[in-house]
Amino acid sequence: MAQSQTERSGQSLLCVRGICKMFSLNQVLKGIDLEINPGEILALIGGNGAGKSTLMKIIMGIYQPDQGEIEIRGEKVSLNRPSVALTHGIYMVPQEPMLFPNMTVEENILVGVGFDAPGAELRRRLAQLMDDIGWHLDLSRKASSLSIAEQQLVEILRGLLRNAELLIFDEPTSALTFDEVESLFRCIRDLQKKGIGMIYITHRLTEVFDIATHVAIMCDGVITLHGPIGDFTREMLVKGLLPPNMQEQEIKGTAEATMVDYKNAKPILELQNYSGYGFRGINLKIYPGEILGVAGVVGAGRTELATTIFGKDKVLGGKAILDGRDITGLSTKKVLEAGVNYVPEDRHLNGLFKISDVAANTTSAILNRMVMGKVFLNRKAEHDLTQEYVEHFRIKVTGQDQLTGSLSGGNQQKVVIARALSTKPKLVILDEPTRGIDAVARGEVYSIIHQLKEQGVAVMLISSDMEEIVELSDRAVTVYQGRINGEFQKEEINQDNLMAAAFDVISREQVVS
Amino acid sequence: MTLLKKMGKVREISSLFFLIFLFGLVGLMNSDFLTPTSLFNCFNDSVVFTLLAVGIAFVILTGEIDVSIGATLGLSAAVSSTILRDGGSAVVAVLAAVLVGCLVGLFNGFGIAKLGIPSLIFTLGTNGLVRGLVYVYTGGAWVENLPAGFTRLANVKLVGELTTFYAMALLLVIAAHLILTKTRRGKYFITVGDNPAGATMVGIPTMQTKIMAYVLCGLFASVAGILYSSRIGFITPTAGNGYEMKAIAACVLGGVSLSGGLGSLIGASIGAVIMSSISRILVFLGFSSDYDNTITGILLIVIVVVDAVAQNRAAVKTRHARLASRSGPLEEESGNRRAAS
Repeated sequence: MAQSQTERSGQSLLCVRGICKMFSLNQVLKGIDLEINPGEILALIGGNGAGKSTLMKIIMGIYQPDQGEIEIRGEKVSLNRPSVALTHGIYMVPQEPMLFPNMTVEENILVGVGFDAPGAELRRRLAQLMDDIGWHLDLSRKASSLSIAEQQLVEILRGLLRNAELLIFDEPTSALTFDEVESLFRCIRDLQKKGIGMIYITHRLTEVFDIATHVAIMCDGVITLHGPIGDFTREMLVKGLLPPNMQEQEIKGTAEATMVDYKNAKPILELQNYSGYGFRGINLKIYPGEILGVAGVVGAGRTELATTIFGKDKVLGGKAILDGRDITGLSTKKVLEAGVNYVPEDRHLNGLFKISDVAANTTSAILNRMVMGKVFLNRKAEHDLTQEYVEHFRIKVTGQDQLTGSLSGGNQQKVVIARALSTKPKLVILDEPTRGIDAVARGEVYSIIHQLKEQGVAVMLISSDMEEIVELSDRAVTVYQGRINGEFQKEEINQDNLMAAAFDVISREQVVS
Repeated sequence: MTLLKKMGKVREISSLFFLIFLFGLVGLMNSDFLTPTSLFNCFNDSVVFTLLAVGIAFVILTGEIDVSIGATLGLSAAVSSTILRDGGSAVVAVLAAVLVGCLVGLFNGFGIAKLGIPSLIFTLGTNGLVRGLVYVYTGGAWVENLPAGFTRLANVKLVGELTTFYAMALLLVIAAHLILTKTRRGKYFITVGDNPAGATMVGIPTMQTKIMAYVLCGLFASVAGILYSSRIGFITPTAGNGYEMKAIAACVLGGVSLSGGLGSLIGASIGAVIMSSISRILVFLGFSSDYDNTITGILLIVIVVVDAVAQNRAAVKTRHARLASRSGPLEEESGNRRAAS
C-alpha cells in the first residue's frame, strides 16, 4: 500500500469527469467532476435526491454512467461491476451496513473478491490490522449480534484488508451514538495518515468541519461548490445547499390563506414527551385548520413518529392526546376510528392497491362502515363517494373502474389522499406527499391540502422538500436525530432557517426543550 | 459459553438429537425397530432423498426454491433406464442422466436469476414441463426389464449392512459440504441467500451463483434418479412425483432456513434420513403408511411456522435497536450528549 503510493505520487486516486446519468426521463447526474488525492477526506453533502448515492454507485460499479469517464491513479477504467471497483482498491461502507447476519465476523470480512493473498495470510494481516487500529472484535461472533458501530467497523476492515486506497463512507454516523462517532473519527484520522483517500457523505455539517479536508456540495445533479474546507464557513455551506434560484423567490405561503387563531384554539393532537423507536421526547401541538410542517433529513425519525402515532409501532413513553382523548398506544384501527389518518411516504409500498380500480381504492378504508353496506358492498354508495372525490380533486381517470396502478403518480397520490379523507379524519398526516410527482400534480395536491385546512382538518406535513414546507406551513418544526430541535412560526419559516435546523446548524436560543 | 449452549447454536445438532429422540421413541414402542439391520436400512433407504435434499439445499441456501426436482428425477431415471434396457453402456446412461439434470437446472437458473421470475412459479412450470417430457419420452409406459446387473447394484454392501450407494452418497455430501464451507467460491451460495445486496457489494457474482445452485440441484436430482432406477427396478411415468416436498421438508428439518443463508448440507442429509424413515416408522407402529404424506406436510408446516415466527421476532428486534441507537439514549444521558456535541 505504502509502496504503491510512493510510486504513483502526484497522481490523484480517483478522478471522474463529466459523469451523467439518467433514469427513465429523470436526469439525476448532470456532468459531475470530482478528484480525490491520497490522504484527502472529501465531505460530500447535499439534500435528498441530489444524486450523491447515484454517483457513489457509479464509482462502485453498480450503475454505469451514460456519459463521462473515470480514472483511477491516472489510468482510465471501466467500472462495470463491483468486483472491478474492488480490485482497483475502492471500497464503499454503505449507510446501512450490508453484512451477512448469519456468518461470523471473520467470514464476513474474508468473503468476496478483491483479495490478493490466500486465507491464512489474510487472517494474519487481519489480526495485524486490528492491532494497528486498536479496535478489537471477537472474530467468531455472528454478525447479527453486532451493534451498528461494530458492523461499520467490520465494513471498514473489509475495505482495508482488500488494500482499499479509496474508502467511501455513506452517512456512516447516522446510526451511531456519540462515543461510537468519536471512535470512528479516530479511525478515519489514522487512515488518513496512512494516505488513504476518503469520500465522506453526510447530512451533518458539524462533522464536515470536524474531519474533512475538502468539501463538495451536490445539488440537483451538479456540484455547486467544491474546495478545501478552510475556504468555507457553515453559513456558506447552508447557502450552497439551497437550490440556486431559490434565494430570490422565498414564497411565504399563499397570502389569502387564513391565519390560525392560536389564542382560542384547542389543539387537535397534543404529544407530551412522546417517545418511540427512532424518536425521543417529542412535545408538539397541532391545531384544527393548521398545516404543521415537519422538516428534517431522511432518517431523522419523522416517519417513525407518524407511524407510531398511527399505531403501527410501539410507544416507548409519553402521551398522545387527540381532542382530549388519550390515544397513546392504541391499535391502528382504533386510531383511525378516533380520527387520525396517515398517508404513507411510499404509496407503492404502503398506500395503494395497484391492481384494484379507483373506486375500490377510494373506499377501502371505510369498508367496515355501515354506509358501504353490511354484508354486500353498497355499490351505489361506493360510486357516489368516489365520484365526489374524483370531481373534487380533479383526479384524471377514464372511469371509476380504471386500475389505480395505471394512473399517473400525481393522480395515484390524489387517490391515496382521497381514501384517507373518506374516513373524515380530524388529523391527516401526509408523509412526503409530492415525492416523485410532476409540477402540475404537485400544485393540485397543494390545493387539496389547502382545502383540508379550510375545512378545519389539522394537517401534519412531513417533507424533506424545504420549499414545500415553506409554501404550505402555518407553523413548522424540524426534527434532527429523533428530537425536535427547532420550531418556527409562520413569519420565521424560510428555507435558510429550516435547512440550518435540519442539519443542526442552529443557535442555542432557538432550541425548544 | 458452555459446550451445550454452543452445540445448541449449531442447527444440525438439534436435528441429530431429534433423529435420535425419534428413533428411541419408536424403539420404546417396538423394539424391533432398533435392530442393527432395521436402523441401517433407515439410512440405506434414505439415499435418494439425501441426494435430493442436498441438491435442493444449494438452491434454498441462495434464498430460492425448486419444486421441479421430482420431475427431474423422473426424467433422468427414464432416460438412463431406457439406455441401459436397450443395451447401452453404463457410462452413456450416466452421462445422459446427468446432462438432463444439468440442462433442467440451467433452464431454471436462467429463468430465475437472469429473468428474475419468482422461483416457485418458474420451477412449478418446469415441473409440469419436465413431467410432461417423461410421458412423451416413455409414451406413458413403464420402463421395465432393466439389466439384473444394474438392479443388483442397489443391494451391494460396502461394509456390514451399509450399502455402497449410501456410502457414495455420504462421500458426495461430505465433499459438497467441504466445498460449501471451506472454499472461497463455495461460500458465495450462503452469502447470496444471507444478504443479496451485501453480496453484490463485495463483488460476488450473484446471478452466476444462483444459476450454479440450480445446476447443482439438477445434477444431484439426476444422480438420485439413477440410484432410484437401480433400487426400484422399473420406472413409472410418475416416478419421483411429490418428492420435492419431502426434500424441502428434509432441508427445513435439518436446519436449512427457507429464507436463505442459513443451514448446512449435513443438516439436510440428517433431515432426509428422518423424512424417509417416516413410512417405515408408521409400519413399525402399526399404522398405515398412507399417513406418510400427511405427516410430512404437517412436519414441514410446523417447522416453517416456528422458523418464520423466530425470524420475524429477530427482524423487529434489530429494527428497533437500529432506530433506538439513532435517536440516542433516553432521559438524563441525552442532556450530556447535547452538551458534549
